[in-house]
Amino acid sequence: MTRRFVEGSEAIVDAAILAGCRFFAGYPMTPFTEVLDRMAEKMPTSGGICVNAESELEAVGMAWGALATGARAATGSVGQGLSLMQESFSEITRAELPLVVFNMARGQADYYQSTRGGGHGDYFHIVLCPIDIHEAIEHVQLAFHLADAWRNPVQIYGDYLLAHTAEAVELEPMSFGPLPEKDWALDGSLNGTGRARNVNSIGMMKGEKGIEPEKFWKRLQAKYERIKLEEARHEAEFLDDADYVVTAFGTTAKFVRHVVREMRAEGRRIGYIRPVTLWPFPAQAYRDCATSAKEIGVFELNGGQMIDDVRLSVLGAAPVAALGGISSDESGFGVAPLLNAEIIRSILEDAYVRATGNGAAS
Amino acid sequence: MSNTVTTRGTVTIDIERCKGCELCVPACPPGVLAMSTARNDRGEQYPLLSPGCTGCGACYYVCPDSCFAIYRYDTPLEIEVSI
Repeated sequence: MTRRFVEGSEAIVDAAILAGCRFFAGYPMTPFTEVLDRMAEKMPTSGGICVNAESELEAVGMAWGALATGARAATGSVGQGLSLMQESFSEITRAELPLVVFNMARGQADYYQSTRGGGHGDYFHIVLCPIDIHEAIEHVQLAFHLADAWRNPVQIYGDYLLAHTAEAVELEPMSFGPLPEKDWALDGSLNGTGRARNVNSIGMMKGEKGIEPEKFWKRLQAKYERIKLEEARHEAEFLDDADYVVTAFGTTAKFVRHVVREMRAEGRRIGYIRPVTLWPFPAQAYRDCATSAKEIGVFELNGGQMIDDVRLSVLGAAPVAALGGISSDESGFGVAPLLNAEIIRSILEDAYVRATGNGAAS
Repeated sequence: MSNTVTTRGTVTIDIERCKGCELCVPACPPGVLAMSTARNDRGEQYPLLSPGCTGCGACYYVCPDSCFAIYRYDTPLEIEVSI
């Protein structure tokens, strides 16, 4: 297998094509633009189709159509573009279509948007949040698998750093086990043939008279409960004897993990935990570390969003403190001044000393 | 016939990054941005600058893709234009 030095955008596209994605539609917006550019470049030679849509609304609609035929299809944008897609996201989720969404967000302020959604009704998307390009390659392939396995949209929450920096990576095909046949996908069979199929978002089933919203919505809710039990993923280091636990998500966690490792090497009893899935949130893992830690510090670069999920997970078993905050350069694309190991180091030192009462390292 | 236009600044435009959304054109207070007839590699028309820029940065702030860089002259230029 060859190691290649590639930008995150290109690695994501290569992984998507490797996973069998053959339809992509999007509308350019920084820092998502390069994902669309690479899709446009690589899809035609991979037997696929990439459409530069008129806007985000059309892009998600085109992906919906491709998904209904059983194709592996995806769309994407940044948080601003995803705002425009929310109506379709709601409906696609209720149509139980396996959409994959590449969200190259402008920073971390779209945590609520990705985990709660901005559309109508009871619905959730599985959200995978890679820490680096290596993990993004895994997540993209996993996303297509999970989408098919659960018949539910899966979002990759990336950002400017993920899309626009390069790493040496190997692109290896991953296998996640067998999937059910897509016996629901439209194949062109017409009414009266006995083989006609119907993809819809109101729970209308073939052979049943009318629709029963309550029964339909409860079935979907039961699916979300199973996803919560089976798909919550996290990464952790040094939790066993940690007096202080710090948490972060996405590329920001790479900076935090680095600083925690440094502090550990100097004898600080500090631990690190990161949600790999933002939804379902790995609540049990947070609950477990709350029993021994004196405080859980949440380092996120927004006004305070993931901190709600941390609080709901630990349910008061440990104090939860906000350590990050809104931070942006003048472009607003999410290249935050706070993404600086020295600054994070001083924030974590202060929090550690304050919460544990242990003095400064000698 | 010619006339002069006071020009306090200028912009550089990354025309290959432009997706032709045209937000900059109405955002420009002196109205010195207009869309090209030519197209970039993406197939989009892109803004072109005429004399009279004030270096205010409105295009920079409105552009979704950060195509503009803004420069202000220390001393305003009087640029001759044909009318």
